Amino acid sequence: MPELKYDPYNLIITGVGGQGNVMSSRIIGNMMSLKGFFVTIGETFGASQRGGSVMSHVRISTKETVSPQIPKGKAHMIVSLEPSETIRVLMDYGNPAVQVITNTRPTHPIGVISGQAEYPSDQNIEEWINEISSKAWFFDATEMAVKIGHPIFSNIIMAGALAATNELPLDREIFETIMNTKFNPDKAKSNLEAYDQGVASIV
Amino acid sequence: MSIFTEEQNGTRHLLMGNEAIVRGAIEAGLDVAAGYPGTPSSEIIETLAKYAEKNNHYVEWSVNEKVALEVAAAGSFSGLRSLAVMKQPGLNVASDFLLHLSASGTRGPMVLLCADDPGALSSINEGETRFYARLMEIPLIEPGNFQEAKDMMKWAFELSEEIRNIVLVRTVTRLSHASGNVTLGERKESVGKAFFKNDGFILDPMEGSVMSAPVAYKHGEQQVKLKRCAEIFEKSPFNVYEGPVNPELLIITSSICDLYSKEAVSLLNAEKRVGILKLGTTFPLPPKLIEQYLAKADKILIVEEVLPFLEESIKVLAAELAPTIGAKQFFGKANGDIPMVNELNPDIVVTALSSILGIEYKEVDEEYKKRASEICFFGSPARETTFCPGCPHRASFFSINKNISMDNRSGFTCGDIGCYSMGMLPGGFSTLKTLHAMGSGTGLASGFGKMTKFGMEQPVVSVCGDSTFFHSAMPPLVNAIHNNSNLTMIVLDNSGTAMTGFQPHPGLEVDATGSEAPKIDIPSVCKGMGVNVEVCDPFDLAKTQETLFKFLESDGVNVLVLKQICALSPEKKGKKMFNMSIDDSVCLGGECGCNKMCTRVLSCPGLIWDRETEKSTINDVICIGCGVCASVCPSGAIKKEEA
Amino acid sequence: MKISGSNELLEQIQNNNLCVGCGACVGICPYFKAHKGKVAMTFSCDRTEGRCYAHCPGTETDYDVLANELFNKPYEEKPIGNYIKIYGAKAGEKAVNGSFQNGGTVTTLMKFAMEKGLIDSAVLTDSIDMIPDPQIVTKSDEIGNFSSTKYMASPTVSKFNEAIKMGHKKIGVVGTPCQMKAIGKIKSNPLDREEFKKPETFLIGLFCTWAVDTKNFIKLLESKTDISKIKSMDIPPPPAEVFILKTETEAIEIPLDDIRKIVPEGCSLCPDMTCEWADISVGAFEGRSGWNTLIVRTKKGEELINSAISEGYLTVEEFPDENVTHLTKGSVGKKKRGLAKREELMKSMDQNDNGSATAPSVVGFR
Ligand SMILES: Cc1cc2nc3c(=O)[nH]c(=O)nc-3n(C[C@H](O)[C@H](O)[C@H](O)COP(=O)(O)OP(=O)(O)OC[C@H]3O[C@@H](n4cnc5c(N)ncnc54)[C@H](O)[C@@H]3O)c2cc1C
Ligand SMILES: Cc1ncc(C[n+]2csc(CCOP(=O)(O)OP(=O)(O)O)c2C)c(N)n1
Ligand code: SF4
Repeated sequence: MPELKYDPYNLIITGVGGQGNVMSSRIIGNMMSLKGFFVTIGETFGASQRGGSVMSHVRISTKETVSPQIPKGKAHMIVSLEPSETIRVLMDYGNPAVQVITNTRPTHPIGVISGQAEYPSDQNIEEWINEISSKAWFFDATEMAVKIGHPIFSNIIMAGALAATNELPLDREIFETIMNTKFNPDKAKSNLEAYDQGVASIV
Repeated sequence: MSIFTEEQNGTRHLLMGNEAIVRGAIEAGLDVAAGYPGTPSSEIIETLAKYAEKNNHYVEWSVNEKVALEVAAAGSFSGLRSLAVMKQPGLNVASDFLLHLSASGTRGPMVLLCADDPGALSSINEGETRFYARLMEIPLIEPGNFQEAKDMMKWAFELSEEIRNIVLVRTVTRLSHASGNVTLGERKESVGKAFFKNDGFILDPMEGSVMSAPVAYKHGEQQVKLKRCAEIFEKSPFNVYEGPVNPELLIITSSICDLYSKEAVSLLNAEKRVGILKLGTTFPLPPKLIEQYLAKADKILIVEEVLPFLEESIKVLAAELAPTIGAKQFFGKANGDIPMVNELNPDIVVTALSSILGIEYKEVDEEYKKRASEICFFGSPARETTFCPGCPHRASFFSINKNISMDNRSGFTCGDIGCYSMGMLPGGFSTLKTLHAMGSGTGLASGFGKMTKFGMEQPVVSVCGDSTFFHSAMPPLVNAIHNNSNLTMIVLDNSGTAMTGFQPHPGLEVDATGSEAPKIDIPSVCKGMGVNVEVCDPFDLAKTQETLFKFLESDGVNVLVLKQICALSPEKKGKKMFNMSIDDSVCLGGECGCNKMCTRVLSCPGLIWDRETEKSTINDVICIGCGVCASVCPSGAIKKEEA
Repeated sequence: MKISGSNELLEQIQNNNLCVGCGACVGICPYFKAHKGKVAMTFSCDRTEGRCYAHCPGTETDYDVLANELFNKPYEEKPIGNYIKIYGAKAGEKAVNGSFQNGGTVTTLMKFAMEKGLIDSAVLTDSIDMIPDPQIVTKSDEIGNFSSTKYMASPTVSKFNEAIKMGHKKIGVVGTPCQMKAIGKIKSNPLDREEFKKPETFLIGLFCTWAVDTKNFIKLLESKTDISKIKSMDIPPPPAEVFILKTETEAIEIPLDDIRKIVPEGCSLCPDMTCEWADISVGAFEGRSGWNTLIVRTKKGEELINSAISEGYLTVEEFPDENVTHLTKGSVGKKKRGLAKREELMKSMDQNDNGSATAPSVVGFR
């Protein structure tokens, strides 16, 4: 088993209910588990799935199963499917060393839709995330996903992007194996395409 | 190749807590399982049902939890291995039968799995299962991690077989819905053959009648079983101590709090000062084991979620043991170190530990925290839970709210449990004015409808989902009819149990395993009760409102069934009913007297108010084309086109 | 004069039970709706300035604006308002007969106005099962269907809003004092909206001491008889002190005191009995059954009446001086009661609110 940069490595995957957050964390978790790591995933779903914020804590260790909740301020990497959610998670779990990969496509909360609240500008979001992280990647994963065929693929694009950062020993072969056991060839192919586009988004 | 149908002994997997529980039951040689959906327990029956045919299990979604427990008990009485599954509030529903069952005893091994939701992540309560163990005098075991979720589940059946009584297993959201690594074990053969012996000597527990009488005798027998449990628990491998031989502080914990405690100790690098006794068997407590560890430390911190169940039992034990082990200093709920509401997490335990041990702890640099909070204030607008785009409930509440306002007699709506509970929130136009247990909306409405005697003239409405209708809303409806109450009951029929993940219910043509099943038609049931019923499509706002007006103004009990499939249902997902568009030349934008009826009022996530053009637009990524906004726009600017 | 939004309207008028249900706020946005004679807001609106507030006869009103619009001069405080002449009147020999409340002056004149092309549409009030049902009429031979008084407060002004929206340019309206006041406010385009196209109007005001709350009225009637059998209703002149329901077979008397109990709170603040904000005002002719009192207030009103008289549609006679005195007395009485009530209300509101600035303004009821 390769060594980890941190043990346990604390990854948070966040987004809005319905964006495929859970699937993304499970796939990454499975990829690491198949490599022999101890993986613990803590998830918030249920009521929060109806348009609310969702978050998965994926913790990877060479030694043991750990708490399914990451302690505050202790995230190493935040992968986010929605930009304002990135900021929400940074407030609780961020620290000066944290890294961030974020989809730039906003999903407006109903407070914004109904005009009670304002959504921050793209520019502000980028500035702020850069300010409170050590490194951050931004790209419109939704747009890429729609081109592949469905906005849901953005969750796999993010997984590919995470792999490309080389923060964790995630490799494409294992991803392919998982896809082939989980999905029919058509779906698997689209997912692989999404994964590869995610990889290509990290420069 | 599924771990739920194959042996795969010794292989290692990443499993969700609920999956581990399922595997545990399968390894135990399960025959019968019954439950009613409830987060965070639903995946258990769902998974068992999926593989029921292959495994030769009988698995059902029962109409409610009491019936689920009864169905499972029938399995046990027939000599089979049986399991009942529910979330904590379901245990309240099932408790009357449980009281009698625990006294009558079981035959084939029987396990009751209850999932608690500390912190109410998906509930409107944080009810406690553990106290039922004490109240019902049955053993309680609590897995502390994913491996244990499987192993203890398997063991629960063995324990039940040994004591011939039901065993209560408690899990929590953070275990059931989290995932971790599990190594699989050996699968036992199922019993497979059912026979209910009933003609033996009446008091014979295995061959006589099964009942809780004669009470004193059966109650006594039950307590003997419990004593036996305490003995077994003394040697249980699920009670684990980790730490120095003589710790400065002893943490006693159970369930998922074990992992929080470990994390906290490690964050403070206090491994040499603190020991952790994790209890897997939390009722009855094994007194000798507890004594052994209490004796080692002077300071005891008890870490558990919600109420001080362990804390109180351990304090009683410690008081009895004081002459031999001396006086102890306790920390926990009573002294306020561990809160008595909400779920715990590593941070709460760290805070308690650092104050007890005098170690300073900073989660993150102060400056960073301050700046991040500032940024979050502007950068992360609150994200309220709301109905899905295209949810029929949004349309229903729009009509209900509008009608009640126009009716102008201060009418109100009693809420119930399901996705439509969100009718309480602004996204549901704050329509619901009461919200309690399943079925209670119509029960309350039945009562309100009789307050006319005391001058109440407000029209009374109750809402109830289709699953809730069968679960517990039929008795209050009967009550309302029989007692001549005045109310309009609105059944929000979205063809499934949506909130918990779209499980089938008796109103559908399929059962838990996906096989065809006779469906019970809600309007016919109501008609059979002798009450006036009408069925409308909530997307047809005009017809719905016309009917509702009529009902609001008529006396007696009327039932309006608003039927439209849930937007997330497998049937509808991904399929648009209409292609929606906005005619820019018709939309009057910010100047329109409607003041953003579409976005500000209807507030469907599928719409966006473009601040620059001051006009409404459709968010194509999110809109599912239900067409409701087209009926709401007073200018007719929103167009729908058959997709 | 401050114009606020719907929240203030609710706070000051509706929540204080002062809404008389005239319908001025209905039909201009999707939020205010009239249902069964009552006006309600369905969903909340956050505009800080709204036509709903500006049009409501219960909110602060600049009488000079109304007077300038109708009479081309500032407001002069007179007991029965501005007028040119008062007649005793009834439908003339050329008029079509009908089941008029009194002399049929109103029906006849509206019909005449439409036939002469003075109006292209008329906003009139019918009722269905005792629920007021205002409508827009564009055919003169339908006007007769609306004769007779519906004593319920009616959201008639909502149909005036609708008629404007539909593009009618010359609109006739028959209405009570609160309704006419609202129409004056609407015509003044208080929010200076560019797209507002002010219609020509011909306004026939009805005398009014009070109206009744529809729902409570229905309840009261149902306790007396089968409401579907009611043919007509009337209030005979004092000292009778009764309200009479006529069916095919009987006449049922209800003491006026019972009726007064179901008068909307808002009516008790109204200072206008003779309907000052109209081209002509019509009421009963006390002591002469089958006749009307007719007050001619504007030039437009005068012209129409003169031709109606000369063409035989209207029969008039001199209105006796003692009746003018009597009418003035009644009118002053209502003004005094209305103003006193308003003072009282303002005081109680001030007390409730500890005299803070949020005390609702009901200046309109002057
Ligand atoms: C609520 C109310 C209270 C009244 N109180 C008095 C009073 O105290 N003293 C008095 O002298 N006269 C009063 N009147 C007026 C009187 O009843 C007659 O309407 C009036 O004398 C005209 O008679 P007519 O025969 O010309 O009417 P008709 O020719 O019968 O025509 C009646 C007209 O009144 C309109 N109308 C009926 N009901 C309403 C309503 N609720 N809102 C608006 N328009 C309506 C119809 O559209 C119709 O055009 C009142 C009228 C109303 C509506
Ligand atoms: C006693 C009890 N059992 C189970 C639950 C879990 N639960 C919450 S919502 C819900 C579904 C209700 O379904 P339905 O009434 O059809 O409403 P929908 O979610 O489809 O709108 C269930 C089972 C509960 N809260 N209480
Ligand atoms: S899951 Fe179905 S019922 Fe629940 S909010 Fe979404 S669309 Fe509505």
